[in-house]
Amino acid sequence: MLRIRGLVAGYEDGGRVLESIDLQVAAGESVALMGRNGMGKTTLLRAVMGLLRPVAGGVTFDGSDLTGRPPFEISNAGIAYVPQGREIFKDFTVEENLRLGLLGKTGMAARVPDAIYGRFPILAERRAQRAGTLSGGEQQQLAIARAVISRPRLLLLDEPSEGVQPSIVEAIAATVSAISREEGTSVLLVEQNLDLVLALTTRCLFIENGRVVAQSASARLADDSGLLARYLAV
Amino acid sequence: MAQALLVALDASNFMLALLLVTLGLVILFGLMNVINMAHGEMFLLGAYAVVLVQRYGGSFWLALALAPLALGVIGLVIEEVVIRHVYHRFIDTILATWGLSISLKQAVIIAFGPTAQQVHNPLPQTVEILGTLYPVYRLFIMAVAVLAAAGTFLLFYQTSLGLVARAVIANRPMAGSLGLNTRRMDRMTFAFGAALAGLAGAVMAPLMSVDPQMGVGFLIPAFLSILVGGTGTLLGTLLGTTLIAGAGTVVSSIWSQITAQIVVFALAIVVIRLFPQGLTGGSQER
Amino acid sequence: MKSAPAGFELTVAVWLLLAACPLTVSEWRISQLSQITSYGIFAMSLAFLWGQTGLLCFGHAIFFGVGAYAMALITKGLLPGVGDSTVTGLLAATLLPGLVALIAGTLVFRGRSLSGAYFAIVTLAAAAIAERAASHWSLIGGFNGLLDVPPLRYGVGANRVELLAPVPVYYVVLGAAGAMYGLLLWLERSPLGTALRAVRDNEQRTSYFGFDVSVYKTLSLALSGGVAGFAGGLFVTQFGFVSPALIGVPLSTEVLIWTALGGREVLLAAFLGALAVRSVESVLSEALGYYWLLALGVLFVASVVIFPRGLLGRLLALSLPRRMAAPADPGP
Repeated sequence: MLRIRGLVAGYEDGGRVLESIDLQVAAGESVALMGRNGMGKTTLLRAVMGLLRPVAGGVTFDGSDLTGRPPFEISNAGIAYVPQGREIFKDFTVEENLRLGLLGKTGMAARVPDAIYGRFPILAERRAQRAGTLSGGEQQQLAIARAVISRPRLLLLDEPSEGVQPSIVEAIAATVSAISREEGTSVLLVEQNLDLVLALTTRCLFIENGRVVAQSASARLADDSGLLARYLAV
Repeated sequence: MAQALLVALDASNFMLALLLVTLGLVILFGLMNVINMAHGEMFLLGAYAVVLVQRYGGSFWLALALAPLALGVIGLVIEEVVIRHVYHRFIDTILATWGLSISLKQAVIIAFGPTAQQVHNPLPQTVEILGTLYPVYRLFIMAVAVLAAAGTFLLFYQTSLGLVARAVIANRPMAGSLGLNTRRMDRMTFAFGAALAGLAGAVMAPLMSVDPQMGVGFLIPAFLSILVGGTGTLLGTLLGTTLIAGAGTVVSSIWSQITAQIVVFALAIVVIRLFPQGLTGGSQER
Repeated sequence: MKSAPAGFELTVAVWLLLAACPLTVSEWRISQLSQITSYGIFAMSLAFLWGQTGLLCFGHAIFFGVGAYAMALITKGLLPGVGDSTVTGLLAATLLPGLVALIAGTLVFRGRSLSGAYFAIVTLAAAAIAERAASHWSLIGGFNGLLDVPPLRYGVGANRVELLAPVPVYYVVLGAAGAMYGLLLWLERSPLGTALRAVRDNEQRTSYFGFDVSVYKTLSLALSGGVAGFAGGLFVTQFGFVSPALIGVPLSTEVLIWTALGGREVLLAAFLGALAVRSVESVLSEALGYYWLLALGVLFVASVVIFPRGLLGRLLALSLPRRMAAPADPGP
């Protein structure tokens, strides 16, 4: 479904981060991206989302070419993004944040469906509250809810466990895997937290210096400490 | 007493007129971070729209409805042809709109000549307020200003469109990632700012000498109001225009207009030295 | 800014060409060219402030105008006790606007400095007010300004001679332009210039390195204001007449256009921008009438969008002094 070929990208003021990325995510599949900091994981997600213009290579989704398209078109193609640091609209209410996940989508009602509050009950309690007043874990759930509310076919998740207490990480893992299972949503997860990778994904790719250098079945990670030591240890 | 009332009425009239002119400017500055130096000329075009409609026998009220529409369309064209290429170069937006202001003013001179045009006052009556006679049309301007400000507030804070606009301003990349069409919002915001300028020009036309220089006179107090009030909220705009117009009217009723301009300018400098983000803060650091 | 391959050769050629003008051009044109050359000095002063320090000034004619008025008041003998010589006049025309700029700079830059956009707006408002104030101030002639400003003079007492012949006047003005060019270029390439460009490129980072950014901005404004005033003083000796139009928004706008079209980062480009626009204007404005300014406005917008560094900046850029040309490219 998602196919990335020879993707080269970097930042405007010089530094190339992605040297040549090739990867695929099949429909309904959940894939983890692992690697040390600064190896290009976040850059890759940003490039897929259209927030960075690739220097070379391309991204196709369901056979249509998304390379160089603006973010709002990529979003409307069915890709949703939960960035590192969450980037919720702190001055807006929880409900307004969720509505913003719908307002840009063609052919979707602008009302926030109750189902989303069913998945994230804590947000139902807080729906009229300013998003900036939520705890870190609640903000993370809001960011995920805002992304999945439009029922995307691919969810890009960047470090959802960052700054979130372990019990909430478990809850998030359960909710996301339920969504993925019930709605057939594919997930591309950037994560350092092994538990989350094990709970959510079936396949794991390792990135080093802007290239995919190894892959493994996620289930094997728990046993094969060599892989982790090689690509994650500092 | 009657004198004081008249000064108070004049001050509120000037303040609300200034608010009407400043609205479009502050929307572009606060929401898009574009300093629109051509705002005065868009105001000018609004006034000339009235001249044009009346020349072909249309009524003032028709002109008042058409002027914002026409300016909205002109705003769309300007955004597409010029402004969208310089969004990321902040100082160049000032230069580009400055060049536009020169071009638009000169186009008006070519089309209508450099001399003043007459727009007849559709409401020439006066009304008695607490023993003082006051022109009805001035009250009408005040009403339009209040409605425009209230309407703008409701549009941005009570509608989905306004929510999307504010989201695009708060975090453009994230808004785009949520599927919000950031290009369309840019176009619409710019057109809306231009339409407000056109509305202001059309409304003010019957009371002003409609000539190619009329835009500049309002532009500078409008800018000073923004500096004083801050760009973050409409409340700031209200505060800024009140201070600038109030001080201006009071000083010029005692001394002269030129003294008033100098005093107001000095006042504005003092305020922005003490409050670099304006009295209500909230503008982006540049 | 990267240097053009032939920047140095072109720069020399431009000055030689300007020096050779009297050989081919009529006397009437030469006297026009002298006036335009004063405008060219004015444009260089703005290029120094804007191109090097990054301060976009919408009221630069204030300094030009103050210089022009100072020159007129002194050489007309209206200020008792200071004499009426050309040299005193030019000195005052340079120092007074420089002082005005120094005070204004201190007011707006000290402490938490005014942001670039606000500086632009404030200077625009100041120019509008200065123009109105000048036209209401009877001491300096009010709306009508001051007529019969004497031309350049040399010698003293009964031996004093007025310099009237167009060609000598032209060489004096061109020499002054060359001197100002040399001065500004020297400043640009001195350590001060490096500091100013650092302020322009990243104010915050520069202040982290321990530079007092507001001092550099104020200094740059004062230097630029002084040169602009000098240009104004020189201008009125040829124009013979000073009015509020020399201090206001329209002239501030014009100098901005010349500088932007020429190239704000290169002194000579801004100088030639003024010369080119003014020369074309004197030829075309009669034929085109109102369309001239429309064309200029459209050209200006187009150049801002398409050539933000001006039409000539690339061609005339000089390479950095060897001291600054570090072995590794220090970045854009």
